[in-house]
Amino acid sequence: MSQIVSRLTPYFEQLKKRLPAGFNSSLVLPCLRRIQEERGFVADEDITALVTYLGVPRMQVEQVLSYYTQFRRKPIGRWHLQVCHNVTCSMRGAEHALDLLQKRLHIKSGQTTTDGRFTLSTVECLGSCGTAPVVMVNDTYHESMTGMKLDALLESLK
Amino acid sequence: MTGAKWIMNFPVTATSHSLADYRARGGYETLQKVLTSMKPDDVTKEVTASGLLGHGGAAFPVGRKWAVIKPNDGQPHHLCANADEGEPGTFKDRWVLEHAPHLLLESMLITSYAIGCRHSFVYIRGEFDLPYRRLQAAADEAYEAGYFGERIFGTDFSCDVFVYRGAGSYVCGEASGLLTSIEGKKGYPRNRPPRLTVKGLYQRPTVVNNVETLANITGIVARGAETFRKMGTAKSPGTQLVSISGHVNKPGVYEVEYGYPLAKFIYEDCGGMLGGNKLKALIPGGISTKVLTGDDVAPLTYDHASFDGAGSSLGSGGMIAIADGTCMVRLLQVMLRFYHHESCGQCTPCREGMGWMHRIIDRIVAGKGVPEDIERLIAISNANDGTTICGMGDAAGYATVGFIAKFRDEFEYWIEHKRSKVGGALEVQGTWHA
Amino acid sequence: MPDFFINGQPVHAERDQTVMQAALAAGFFIPYFCWHPNLSVAGNCRICVVEVEDPKGGNWVEIACNMPVSEGMRVLTDSDQVRERRKETLQMILLNHPVDCGICDKAGECTLQDYHYQYYGARSVSLDAKVHATKFHPLSERVVLDNERCILCSRCVRFTNEVSKTHSLGIQLRGDHSLVRASEDGAFASDPYSDNVIDICPVGALLSKNFLYKSRVWYLKATPSVCPGCERGCNVDVWHRKPEWKLNALDPKQNSAIARVTPRENAQVNGPWICNKGRDLAQIFERPRAEQSMLKGKAVELAAAVDAARRLIEGAKKPVALVSSWASNEEFAAFQRALGERLVSFVKADWLPQPGERVEDDVLIKADKNPNTRRARELFGPALPAFTAETDLVLVWGEGCNFAELPRGVKVIYLNSYLAPENGHADVFIPISVQTERAGSYTNFAGTVSSFSACFAKKPAVAHAQELFARLATQSKVVA
Repeated sequence: MSQIVSRLTPYFEQLKKRLPAGFNSSLVLPCLRRIQEERGFVADEDITALVTYLGVPRMQVEQVLSYYTQFRRKPIGRWHLQVCHNVTCSMRGAEHALDLLQKRLHIKSGQTTTDGRFTLSTVECLGSCGTAPVVMVNDTYHESMTGMKLDALLESLK
Repeated sequence: MTGAKWIMNFPVTATSHSLADYRARGGYETLQKVLTSMKPDDVTKEVTASGLLGHGGAAFPVGRKWAVIKPNDGQPHHLCANADEGEPGTFKDRWVLEHAPHLLLESMLITSYAIGCRHSFVYIRGEFDLPYRRLQAAADEAYEAGYFGERIFGTDFSCDVFVYRGAGSYVCGEASGLLTSIEGKKGYPRNRPPRLTVKGLYQRPTVVNNVETLANITGIVARGAETFRKMGTAKSPGTQLVSISGHVNKPGVYEVEYGYPLAKFIYEDCGGMLGGNKLKALIPGGISTKVLTGDDVAPLTYDHASFDGAGSSLGSGGMIAIADGTCMVRLLQVMLRFYHHESCGQCTPCREGMGWMHRIIDRIVAGKGVPEDIERLIAISNANDGTTICGMGDAAGYATVGFIAKFRDEFEYWIEHKRSKVGGALEVQGTWHA
Repeated sequence: MPDFFINGQPVHAERDQTVMQAALAAGFFIPYFCWHPNLSVAGNCRICVVEVEDPKGGNWVEIACNMPVSEGMRVLTDSDQVRERRKETLQMILLNHPVDCGICDKAGECTLQDYHYQYYGARSVSLDAKVHATKFHPLSERVVLDNERCILCSRCVRFTNEVSKTHSLGIQLRGDHSLVRASEDGAFASDPYSDNVIDICPVGALLSKNFLYKSRVWYLKATPSVCPGCERGCNVDVWHRKPEWKLNALDPKQNSAIARVTPRENAQVNGPWICNKGRDLAQIFERPRAEQSMLKGKAVELAAAVDAARRLIEGAKKPVALVSSWASNEEFAAFQRALGERLVSFVKADWLPQPGERVEDDVLIKADKNPNTRRARELFGPALPAFTAETDLVLVWGEGCNFAELPRGVKVIYLNSYLAPENGHADVFIPISVQTERAGSYTNFAGTVSSFSACFAKKPAVAHAQELFARLATQSKVVA
């Protein structure tokens, strides 16, 4: 039984109230997001508990978790560094930004540092092209990045 | 100085997004006027008369979309604001969400009244954390003040809004994919018929409008369709929030009145190209629109007819300015990687075609391209034109065909010489700061 | 007055029909992978495109499965544009499809093969390696999935959502990395209709573990039959070696074995579906067979056993029959004619629901696990078997009789197809044929009659019950 789902049930009930009747299925994404905020990922027991709570088919939740890039079923590092490598960011140095981070952290994109502090990955357009290149750290956009700003950023992330 | 302002008509400060500041600018007075003195049909008529076109990329007449919804058909209706903004190069809806969330909300209330919507939604891409918090805080403020909820302004009109966060999928910006996502499923787009205004969210009549489109509504109802039509051109009334980025000196969001000279916009208002470089190419409206060369750009004005005439499109208004020295082959490679990554996988031409095109261009860049690869890219693009469930397949095709049409020499060169014709860089000198 | 036109011919359409439905009903063929008459429209394969004429010029091409018929529309199913589009679509579907035909069970009944030859036929034009994916991923113990062959038509997913309603299959990930998978709670393994996805898969992606590599389908003959697993009486095809492919070099058991069982469409009874029990009919019919007549366990010739049985019936004062609910309408008629007046007959439920077996649902499965209870009761009444102190002979026909509950000291004539300890205890034992060895019909719970034909020949030492009863008849009347 997922302790996290039990603990979050009052919050889910609040969400339910704000939706019209018959919209239980819609709660899948917001509930998964909230669970992931708590645990850092969505565990198998969370899926089982959520399926029971919402009354949706288990396969629906499994498909949603695999389809959307922001959901994960395994934990990652404390700081998730996502470097946008889409058009404008590439035109304004994304490759350099990624190179620098790979060098500093001694990992390749897609990996996590051995101390569990950083996970590095690339990401598609974040809707911040005006302040390219952009690195997303957990939920926050770090815009107009330069080499120096990246070093300062790494320093600041404990 | 890019022409008249309809949305970005107040100075952005630390509090300009707050309810207090919005009210000081006349906020929610239009809603009150609508609810107490207008019929829903009056609102739709005004919007139709304004000639407002959708700002999500399809430029569909807004009033015409709303009018499909039959009042009193015994079904619930829904309004969904599309704040997914995933089109690369586009970041103008974000401006509205961060700086004018109440304008969006008031517009949504007016629209909900017009189409008989009791429960409205804003679908906001999962990555937009700050915009989400701004919008949710604004919604909370509006609820506090009684602008959402039961019996607004003491009338029979009640309305709720739910800000629904996405979780990372470009096709959730497609209207039907968006609704399927709100239903708690994968964001799979749907075949039409039926249109979403007939069967949308949970098979109920639904209007999906882009954030910027909605942001226009309050002003139109407040100041009238005639006033609105004074801006822009006959075929393109009003303004466009243009996101410009790339190798320009002053990237950002600008409200550009339709009809404004494009060259003036780029070289004056946006400060021209970095380091005085020449404009090699311009992606005009998100990467899914056909690329223009610097020479193409010179005579154009910023409106639908002018761009259609140049064989391109205004799209989502996401402009990317590309300086001389940028490798167009590598740029297309980035774009095809993106489309491949984002294909939902439902329909044959896009699912297989995106991967195929991505593999071909990877092979070209790796020095293993052959001349027939160029024709193959064009053939795959054509095989995706009008044959897919949603427009993403077509979009990837337009991007590819556009790049090859204007910059074929670079592709042929790479295939023959196994390297870039222009050095292979994406960022020209001076863009990355160590 | 025509509703619309296909290839210049007037066609009538019902309200709310799509061009696909109306075209097929009128005898025009439009190819399809993802469309299925009993499932919702997915519209993802794109092969069913047709051209629609626009009087103003600029014809458009669109999928037919999702196209509502409109009055007067002019549709072309075989124009140059349509052929081009079909070629492109097939090119795309085949892009990453492994050329497994030589080792794929589906060869010979594969829609992709058929359409390739019919509409495309060319080699791949791709210079890039195919995308690889999982091969032979077990979705359950019964169904295996080859993701490389899968064309993501989603028929299997829609089936578990809409027909069996277990929602146990889905598509994970996205793009050309999409993978059909079963939900992690094992719901697909316990879906009693799971194997239907094998039939509806248009390619060799979903395959039956039981049938895997058993035979090429063109060596097999499909004989119409009826599943005896419950009183729904789903129509089935029983597949077995074609007579001309009965090779002497082959193990003779293979020549007379059931290779597989598939649904035979009957809109009135089962639609195009059956449950998994029907797939496993070999487990019923190929149990060790009784082939030797006996008198109290002593082996005798069939004729001698028949003689002995007739004499027992002749001499009995209060003979009772327990009639098999697995017998055919024709066997009942023969029994009625020959022995109906001589014996007091009760209908026996040969089979009861087994542990772990689904008892009943609102899809196909019925609680009565016998195929012909209804006809049996029409003829022999609904009463449960009952004996009196005077019962001196019991004719037990078929399985399911608890011999311990028979009155002590009665004589027993036992007619059974399968080896069982009770066979040797009966006063007279006669081995009888099974359904696959004869022709006949059953009447299902709703009164619908379905026929089956013989697949195999019975052994000479085994009797057809239908012929047997006349030989058991005597002149004696029922003793009052």
